[in-house]
Amino acid sequence: MPRFSLSAVGVDRPGIVAAVSGALAGLGGNLEDSTMTFLQGQFAILLVVETAPHVTTSMLEGALVPAADRFDLVVTVRALDDQNVSSAASVEGDGGTPWTIAVHGADRTGIVHGVTSALADAGGNVVDLSTHLVGAPEAPMYVMTLRVTLPGHPDPEAAAERVRASAEALGVHCSVRPDDADTL
Amino acid sequence: MAARPVLRLPHPVLTTPSTAIGPVDDEAAALGRDLVDTMRASPACVGLAAPQIGVGRRAFAVDVTGHRKARSCHGLFVLFDPVVLSAGEVELGREGCMSVPDLTGDVARPTSLVVAGTGLLGEAVRLEVDAFEARAVQHELDHLDGLVFLDRVRGPHALFARKVYR
Repeated sequence: MPRFSLSAVGVDRPGIVAAVSGALAGLGGNLEDSTMTFLQGQFAILLVVETAPHVTTSMLEGALVPAADRFDLVVTVRALDDQNVSSAASVEGDGGTPWTIAVHGADRTGIVHGVTSALADAGGNVVDLSTHLVGAPEAPMYVMTLRVTLPGHPDPEAAAERVRASAEALGVHCSVRPDDADTL
Repeated sequence: MAARPVLRLPHPVLTTPSTAIGPVDDEAAALGRDLVDTMRASPACVGLAAPQIGVGRRAFAVDVTGHRKARSCHGLFVLFDPVVLSAGEVELGREGCMSVPDLTGDVARPTSLVVAGTGLLGEAVRLEVDAFEARAVQHELDHLDGLVFLDRVRGPHALFARKVYR
């Protein structure tokens, strides 16, 4: 069965998810994993959908045009095949050690790039990430929380230390700790 | 004795481990009273640590009296140089903090705790706390280690925006 990744972003208002999911259902689509969230007045959709066998990328794009026009959405559709599907189809399918990283401090440019670059250099993989810009406009604070894996890293604590050091160099606080077990 | 301003992140005193109080002297006693006064002056505040009023010393005040989630309740107490003697099973719960007013988050903490320290009059204190009181104590203990609940939040989707402090 063909599968597609789909992203859609537009100014938030009621009805977006209903319209997009309706277009997918019309093509026999089974909406699999997704993240849909409100971000500073925008609504962002990211999902993977499996459709009926005959569906092509252009058919899916066409089915989404009414919703895109009605809600002024920027939509991208991409067919998933062997070349562009990660072998780590499940969250921790790469066999890595899951860690949670929390970063917070005075807002400045470069925090996400600095910390995630250090993580990538250490062989880490981001599986989930959120950021919040909070506080007064004259003293904004940035909070970033990541769930990451360190696949096959021989010294996870050394990798964690590199990430902490990258945050320190940016003047923000960082904690890196092994993820809690799923069963509390 | 006075209510003092509560500092907010990213103030560095909130991310710096605090130093021990040691023998309880007049200065420590005054700090304890300021913690209580500031807590009382702050709506919905059930705990306050010295770093939050700008003092990097190992001291906090807690009072969960009347809180709907409280089970154990030792009323108002001030604890200097607290140490955890034992901790029980872990449970998720939503936390907020006056030093992080814009966010709340889900944090996993032991639901029972035995904590020891020194009281306001210099007396040895040993408390067995559970449920919400245990959570409050551990939240304040984190402050003394330069940590906030953001450092322990469950994951990227366990942080939530807050508009009203209640």
